[in-house]
Amino acid sequence: MSTIALSIEGETVTTKLAMRMEDSLQAFAVRAACFIGELDVPYSEEFDGHDFGATHIIAYVGDEPVGTLRVRWFQSFAMPERLAVIQRFRGHNIGNLLLERCRKLAESRGCNMLYAQALPADVKYWEKQGWRRLVAEEASSGDKRIVAMVRAVDPSKPLPEVEAPESVVLRREAQLDASGLPLGTASN
Amino acid sequence: MTEEKTSGASNRPVVTIKLATTSDELMQCYMLRAAVFMGEQHCPYWEEFDGNDYTASHLMLYVDGEPAASMRVRWFASFAKLERAIILKRYRSYGLFIPFVDWARDFCRKKGYSKAYLHAQHRLWPIFERMGFRKVDDKVFHFSDHEYGAFVCDLAIDEKTMPTIFTDPMVLNRPEDRLEMPGILEDSMERGASNPHAEWTERRAN
Repeated sequence: MSTIALSIEGETVTTKLAMRMEDSLQAFAVRAACFIGELDVPYSEEFDGHDFGATHIIAYVGDEPVGTLRVRWFQSFAMPERLAVIQRFRGHNIGNLLLERCRKLAESRGCNMLYAQALPADVKYWEKQGWRRLVAEEASSGDKRIVAMVRAVDPSKPLPEVEAPESVVLRREAQLDASGLPLGTASN
Repeated sequence: MTEEKTSGASNRPVVTIKLATTSDELMQCYMLRAAVFMGEQHCPYWEEFDGNDYTASHLMLYVDGEPAASMRVRWFASFAKLERAIILKRYRSYGLFIPFVDWARDFCRKKGYSKAYLHAQHRLWPIFERMGFRKVDDKVFHFSDHEYGAFVCDLAIDEKTMPTIFTDPMVLNRPEDRLEMPGILEDSMERGASNPHAEWTERRAN
């Protein structure tokens, strides 16, 4: 873990889990600012139906919500996603702070693998943070736009054999079965 | 929007405007505002979500079902205040602003408000003047990094149809953007009045 800024311009940086409706709205507002406002993602893609089965971590500078990370829970792994930090607060390692909070949360739940989908251009960054590709580079090339990355929750424990086949975990959000879960993850 | 047109009118985007009436629609409204004010204009969260959202009505505009624009209306005794009007970046070339403000004005008018009031960003003054708004006074004030002027527009209320305390009570109970159509409480009248009150003693937990 790289060093984490504890204060920005005299304001303390903190993280918390969304517990109340207002907390969730703050998390959603940060994502809307970054993904819809900056990156032009359509509303219906950004708010994809998974928000109410997930845990939201929020970062604050003072009392201003400036970053958020969504964590979805699967049987064999936890999936951090939708990492967003408000533009003018970037460059202070707030993303790392959120991911570290996610790692600790996963640890406290006895989960030993984090799984994330990264853009090909960001893979080097993730690797520096202790993540590795789920499958060898050659296998994940082609027209796929995302790279599956995994990381041990406890660095001293080896990563368990990955149970989820790539075909399941690599599916994009849009491809859901009737129960709203990624195809193949529902047991019934 | 893709510009490919095969059969004319059928390719035109479908624009729907309505009062936000569910928590999903409210969420859409807030997220559009976060996208534009926080994402594009760098407004802090607590200035954007200023505590007045739960005393207001929120209007939503959809393009082909996708949330595209929103506006907040607050109700003062003698005027309605239009505020927080935004259009998502990708929909800004669609010519939505004037029809949306017109819809909002008509909504206020049908509720019986004779004045629509707003704080217009300096760059938008000519547009509001063209739409029939006039400056309230010469004051220029600023908040959240923008310069504003207060504008007002007279609305031609219809004294015969505007809601008053003498309006049919069931009309006053209707959804506010569809006062001319029967609402769900009118359907409930079929059930009659059984006055299902339990006595206070029976309601009390043991």
